[in-house]
Amino acid sequence: MSILAEAGAIFPAIFSGDTWEIKTAFRTDGMWIFCFFLTIIGGIIAAMFFRLFPFMDRHLERGIAVATYLMIAAIIFWGVIDRFIFSSQWAGSTTVPPFLFMIMAWFGCSYNVRLRTHLSFSEFRSKMKPTGQMAALTMDAILWFGFCWIAITTSLRFTVYSADNFQLVDGVDDTMKWWFYITVPIAFTLMSGRIFGNWLEDWKNYRAGEQIIQTAVIGGEV
Amino acid sequence: MSDGTWVTLISLGVTVFFMLGTPVLLVIFYWVIGCSFVIGLPLDNTGNELLNVFNKGFALLAMPLFILTGDLINQSGIARRLSDFAYSCLGWLRGGLAMAAIAACGLFAAISGSNSATTATIGSMLHPEMVKGGYDERFSAATAAAGGTVGIIIPPSIIFIVYGFLMNLPISELFIAGIVPGSLMVLGMMTAAFIICTANGWGFLIGLSPWRVFKTAVGAWLGFFAIGLVLWGIYTGKFSPTEAAGVTVGFCIIVGLICYPVNKLMGNKPDQPVTEKSLLSMFVVEGFTLPSLPAIVSRSAQITGILVPLIAVSVAMQQVLSALGAKETIGDFVTGMGGYYAVLFTSMAIVFVTGMILESLPVTIILAPILAPIAVSVGIDPIHFAVIFLVGASIGFITPPYGLNLYVASGVTGVPYFRLLRYATMYLASLLIVWFAVALLPSLSTTLLPGGGLYQILSGGS
Repeated sequence: MSILAEAGAIFPAIFSGDTWEIKTAFRTDGMWIFCFFLTIIGGIIAAMFFRLFPFMDRHLERGIAVATYLMIAAIIFWGVIDRFIFSSQWAGSTTVPPFLFMIMAWFGCSYNVRLRTHLSFSEFRSKMKPTGQMAALTMDAILWFGFCWIAITTSLRFTVYSADNFQLVDGVDDTMKWWFYITVPIAFTLMSGRIFGNWLEDWKNYRAGEQIIQTAVIGGEV
Repeated sequence: MSDGTWVTLISLGVTVFFMLGTPVLLVIFYWVIGCSFVIGLPLDNTGNELLNVFNKGFALLAMPLFILTGDLINQSGIARRLSDFAYSCLGWLRGGLAMAAIAACGLFAAISGSNSATTATIGSMLHPEMVKGGYDERFSAATAAAGGTVGIIIPPSIIFIVYGFLMNLPISELFIAGIVPGSLMVLGMMTAAFIICTANGWGFLIGLSPWRVFKTAVGAWLGFFAIGLVLWGIYTGKFSPTEAAGVTVGFCIIVGLICYPVNKLMGNKPDQPVTEKSLLSMFVVEGFTLPSLPAIVSRSAQITGILVPLIAVSVAMQQVLSALGAKETIGDFVTGMGGYYAVLFTSMAIVFVTGMILESLPVTIILAPILAPIAVSVGIDPIHFAVIFLVGASIGFITPPYGLNLYVASGVTGVPYFRLLRYATMYLASLLIVWFAVALLPSLSTTLLPGGGLYQILSGGS
């Protein structure tokens, strides 16, 4: 089967609803082609969504990260109180938080892409001419896109593998691991949207002759 | 072309990306991807690590919780009270405010576990006062940057958690081992600050007033309680470091929410000087409201969203390095140096040089699994080596070109990065002296552990 045919076979596999079929289709090289377009199309849709809904632009990833953060703290805090005062402890108090942590980390990562607060050595870049800065930012956008593409492809494979094996969260009945894993490709799709949104903003500033690189502040707002 | 040539070219390529300002996360990620192609590792290996890293244990969870603790104690006003206490104790000495800033970093570090949170909090809080107090702004910013290095040595510590997680060492023992070296780092930097300030005649002196010390100590009681809670919980084994972090977060949120209305009812003003406050009002910190909580958590989530992806790709990098045989190469090199001291100093040199160009997390994740087994094989205690390694990694926070604390301090004080370097170098010298002392005297790391000298005294010789 050609790589394009493999990519094409992914759609029917997904709609079949059978995890074995999905897993088989996802393991082919065609998955890379499928996810390449998924990253582009998903990213464009996400960028448009953020443009249409400024509230979501400011709060979506941040809101998810904050909610999961507080849930982690509450579960662990209550776990200790429960053990000391009531001499019992919910079995999921040590196994569910790592999954929430995963959600928080990748949505937080996406939000940092939006704010451009990922650690970097920007001394030389800030001294470049606007064309050089635009080229550097375009290079960043391409590299971020590649990162999202690889992450979406591999995390989808990982998720469907987990679903196919009926992996349960340890200590918790009827909570599947893949319910958490599926958030990772979603976070990377949003990240892809952030990449498109940021690049368009940079391009607009470049064309308008405005400052392209602005100081990013941790804890700052969009 | 051979694999080695390809790896060299890829390394040079990503170095160019780094110099052009590409985020470190992407630099490491593409190095991993490039090398994976060369050695034939499937890309899924790297991708899976982005999810797998969270499944490797409960311990890593302490990291975001201690970051959040840092933000909560800052917003609730506890950090301010700790620095007031430090100043009232040290203000009578030349350079007292600078020394107080370093001591405050030490106290802040005892509740939080993050170097950047320590630098950002103390820097933004005390830099304006130091400049107003006649200190050079470059020195003030460098003080915040250097003081932040203890953020990851004095327990609780994010980097100790990562180290323990990687090397399968008990995190609570690592925490305890960091207490004396961390305190020595604080003392070393305070000595450097004293010498610099005395030489330059910087700072105003305030009289040592036992009443003021007592009053500020009362004001900082919640901070001391939090420090005691963390250390007691971990030291007695009542809870794990992750649970200690969760308990501290819960404690800080409850304190912050209760203190805010009480503080309002008492009519206290946040910017009121200590001397004008009543003793009763010192019991209550400023606190925060429930609606302001998401903004505080959001800041912590942002920092976590920067650090955790770095850990994930660094774990993948470490796997690729293993597949490339780096472990054997570095191992042979270090082992070939000879015995105990040769391995010790070579390891320290490798950590120091790597810390200059990489962030401490990748340094730890990449080098610890390579160097620690060699160190243990020549008779170095694993806990002692962990402390040596991590003190070295923490020094990397103020070594250019990639000194993270220098960037953070520059960001919060507005002093350009390169202008910070002069005084940061002076602090660096004091930290290096402490580092060598810690390396050469294993008892400094192990004295509080079972079997150690201080442990025997504290436990009544049992």
